[in-house]
Amino acid sequence: MMETAAVTLKGVEQYRAHFRLGPIDLNIDEGYVTAIVGPNGSGKSSTFRLLLDLAKPDAGQMSVLGYSVGQGDDREWKRQIGYLAEESDFLDDSIRGSEKAAFVRKWYPEWDVNLYQELLRKFEVDDAIKLGKMSKGMRRKFEMALVIAQKPKLLLLDEPSSGLDPIAWRAMIDILHRYMEPGDRTILMASHIIDEVRRLADFIVFMARGQILGKYEKDELFERWHVLYVPAANDSDRSKLLAMPGVIDAELAGIGMYRVVTEDAPQTEEALRAAQFGIGSRQAMQLDEILQVLMQRGVYA
Amino acid sequence: MWLPIHLNESSAEPMYHQIEVQLRALIVSGQLTEGTLLPSIREMAQMLGCSVITVRRVYQDLETEGLLRTRQGTGTFVASVQKEDLGRQRTASVIEAVEAAVDAGMRVQLTRQEMEQIMARVLDERWKES
Repeated sequence: MMETAAVTLKGVEQYRAHFRLGPIDLNIDEGYVTAIVGPNGSGKSSTFRLLLDLAKPDAGQMSVLGYSVGQGDDREWKRQIGYLAEESDFLDDSIRGSEKAAFVRKWYPEWDVNLYQELLRKFEVDDAIKLGKMSKGMRRKFEMALVIAQKPKLLLLDEPSSGLDPIAWRAMIDILHRYMEPGDRTILMASHIIDEVRRLADFIVFMARGQILGKYEKDELFERWHVLYVPAANDSDRSKLLAMPGVIDAELAGIGMYRVVTEDAPQTEEALRAAQFGIGSRQAMQLDEILQVLMQRGVYA
Repeated sequence: MWLPIHLNESSAEPMYHQIEVQLRALIVSGQLTEGTLLPSIREMAQMLGCSVITVRRVYQDLETEGLLRTRQGTGTFVASVQKEDLGRQRTASVIEAVEAAVDAGMRVQLTRQEMEQIMARVLDERWKES
């Protein structure tokens, strides 16, 4: 199948007095959910702002839905993007939800009023309330309903679940899966909620200190990044383990047992069998553990 | 639609393979009958907590085997399985499971004799039960 990119970044850089972003090279495939995972301050929100032409890069090119960012009339492509910013806009505090919706629908020809009403019901949001008077969670749910009712081809979600309680969170997961159902839509989200990424993402991009550390297919990531416990006797075994394909780290984890971190479990296991090592047990690594290993290893992608 | 498919994320078997084996077994055993509409790729991914890439691969593999068919715009259905195919498929899934068991034995370095003993013992136990 031909994959088309919904978003591409080529050599994108942005310099600030206290922060340098990039160079970033990244393709986001159409039809999939891609989650950018990284600690606070890694450049996720800055990247979103660049993609929306809300800030200018100092180098590089970007395209969104086939349009070059920063060139010509941006109304055409921005109509096809739903953007949920990390922070609510305080300038909206004094207007009611329904007034905000009436304003937004003018700009989005695909606006679906029935979907909007359905989402408000599902999220239990009353849009007659002034936005500044809504609780943080309710405002988040309102904003989510607003961007999805635009029926965008591309959804940019910056920490979508911040402020949501567990019930609203589950509703959000379900709504986002339903949004993806037509198959030609794309979600690019920034998140540090591990469970959210596990439930939603097809691809995971790791980011730290303004750099992309790697892009992985989610299931492959969890299939390959394992911790293996290997019975082994001494230091010469350790160097043997470290030399095996996929092995990132091997340290003594008790008497005669090495804890081996691998980014390619099938290959490492094969090498272990070939070298007559046994495998005591294996464990898939969690997202935060993988991020930590990638960050320790530094920038390589 | 809920399907009894269970994934073990610490298994050495890739996720698509685990799903494929179990879905195939559901079809071959007749638990999913001809014409049954399966969940969409996105629904299945949500249900199993895996990516759509994995589910698409499973659907495509089982389609190639003739167990599923996809109609554009309507979805993926369980295909009609021929009697002789059914027989072949039935043994194929068992052979695969036995192979996995043998692999597990080799991983902990059992001898061939030990494995034969285990196999005989399990067979004896299960047959007594049923």
